[in-house]
Amino acid sequence: MNHILLADDDAELTEMLTQYLVAEGFDVDSAPDGETALSMARSGAFDLMVLDVMMPRKNGFDVLRDLRAQSLMPVLMLTARDEDVDSIVGLELGADDYLPKPCNPRVLVARIRAILRRAGPVPDTDGIDTPQTLTLGDLEMHTGTRRVLCGGQPLAMTSTEYSVLEVLLREAGHVVSKVDLSERALGRKLTRYDRSLDMHVSSLRKKLGSLPGDEERIKTVRGVGYQYTRS
Amino acid sequence: MHRLFWKIFLSFWAALILFAGSAMLTASHYLEQARLENVAMSPRARLLSHVSDAQRIAERDGVDGLKAWLNEIDRREPVPLFLLDRNGTDLLGRPLPLGIAERLAREAMHAGRGPVGARLRLEIRLPDDTEYRLIADYQGVTLGRVLDRPHVVALPLILAALVSGLVCFLLARYLTAPLGRLRRATEAYAAGDLSARVAPTLGTRKDEVADLAHAFDHMAQRLQELMASQRQLLSDVSHELRSPLARLQVALGLARQRVAGQADAEFDRIEHEAERVNDLIGQLLSLAKLEASVAPATREPVDLAELLASIASDADYEARASRRRVAIERSEPAVIRGEARLLHSALENIVRNAVRYTPENTSVTLSLERDRGKPDSWRIVIRDQGPGVPEAMLPRLFEPFVRVGDARDRASGGYGLGLAIAQKAVRLHGGEVTALNEPAGGFCVVVTLPSALTHT
Repeated sequence: MNHILLADDDAELTEMLTQYLVAEGFDVDSAPDGETALSMARSGAFDLMVLDVMMPRKNGFDVLRDLRAQSLMPVLMLTARDEDVDSIVGLELGADDYLPKPCNPRVLVARIRAILRRAGPVPDTDGIDTPQTLTLGDLEMHTGTRRVLCGGQPLAMTSTEYSVLEVLLREAGHVVSKVDLSERALGRKLTRYDRSLDMHVSSLRKKLGSLPGDEERIKTVRGVGYQYTRS
Repeated sequence: MHRLFWKIFLSFWAALILFAGSAMLTASHYLEQARLENVAMSPRARLLSHVSDAQRIAERDGVDGLKAWLNEIDRREPVPLFLLDRNGTDLLGRPLPLGIAERLAREAMHAGRGPVGARLRLEIRLPDDTEYRLIADYQGVTLGRVLDRPHVVALPLILAALVSGLVCFLLARYLTAPLGRLRRATEAYAAGDLSARVAPTLGTRKDEVADLAHAFDHMAQRLQELMASQRQLLSDVSHELRSPLARLQVALGLARQRVAGQADAEFDRIEHEAERVNDLIGQLLSLAKLEASVAPATREPVDLAELLASIASDADYEARASRRRVAIERSEPAVIRGEARLLHSALENIVRNAVRYTPENTSVTLSLERDRGKPDSWRIVIRDQGPGVPEAMLPRLFEPFVRVGDARDRASGGYGLGLAIAQKAVRLHGGEVTALNEPAGGFCVVVTLPSALTHT
């Protein structure tokens, strides 16, 4: 059973949401403020944190920043609906996804499941026919253990970044449209002005660095999508 | 206290006194000079010197030379001089002043005692023996003649005019320069820059204009605070409404879980209404945010043609459900810099509004082309076949919550905020939105957008 940490200062909302998520089959604990949320998240007992931005004693961004310094635990940010900047900041800090609040609990559950699916153990780990390793140039991806090595050095990345990279690697040399990438890597339909993919790709670029010879690893094909460079 | 009043009062007074003073100075200067000339040379001696000049010229150049000489003398001398022949006719044919004519008549009567001028030998004899007498008309020195001979008074008058002109120029500039600043601040304020203030630009000035500037700043401050508090209130209320709404949605989800399958239609309805409240709050918040901003948050390149095409295809898809269409009539590649998301919602709001009013089985048409009036602007026209809007309502159409027909508008699901948001968003990009009824029927909204953002 997946263990979810719900970080929100609205006690009534948290209580109802806990009931809802429990009914959906999750194990839920909640934190009423940022400090508590951070120390609970650091305990490593949770599979995912639903993190509200507006919280007393440490806002969601600060919690995420501090958490990311040591953990890649999946995080779903709840942002104010009209502050596009919030979602961008959240993704930049390493959130796996964001959802504007107030949100439909069904959508919340769908997002949680999508993130957990990316983060969870690959269903057919012991399948013999699926390749365990994707290698391209100096980049090595072990799909079984979800480890990525770049030039022999292991890279730390969130499960969402991993998923995006995996799709791009499998299609290396081909352009992957944003619509496709959103469905395959994020598990949801692309919506207009959703900057999530751009943010994930940009943090991937930062982590991977450029190819020897200063070539960009992941190219943006304007108006279409992204392409991992096959040299 | 009334520094400016005294400045104007004293400056004008000083300028007038200065001018009157220099006029008097000029007059006295002239009289002084005349007196000095009299001391140096008595009028009689002057006359005699003129006579000898005239005699010399007459002998050398004849009558014509004499005429030229007389003309020249007349132009120079404030005292009119006449050259009369024996019949009492002037060489230049000028009519004789009454005083001279009377004197000549008196002389003629006492002819025996000889002419008055004769003692002075004021005759000029020409080579052909014709004689002329030089007569000075001292009573003919008029102000007009003095002013007609500018060399006498020009310099003092020009000086007086220059000095008083300078005084007035400085005064006018002193008065209008701060008014210009006040106007610019007012314009900036009207354009939405609520932080515009005047007093700091006036330095240490302390007069009525400075008082006005301070009063303006005070008003601006008050308005800014009021606007801010109103916006804050709107924003706070909207945010506060969001929390119960978030709980409502979760409670609804719980209810659905508990009684799975029952009352789904009602739950759907509640969810739909909650979503509408959420949308309305969102619109209120974005309107408040737009009103608070003076420039787009980003200036990325936005392809208007692409934007319009995607809006048209989405709107057309939705409009088909109610047997209406949305079609692009004319379009060309147009890239401007701005906030794509804002422009999208602006145009989408206008298009949705048009779809709402166009009758069934008709289309909303969109066109994008260069503005003929302003070649560096793009012009987007959204035209529907609807009944249009009463002319009196046109200017108010872009105000929040203004409805044209209450019942119909509500039935079609408008909040009355779409066009207000559209206008604010377009203005933020330096453009303008206007609405007009087509003469041939139908209604159109015209959006003009400059290709480059000109204002800050």
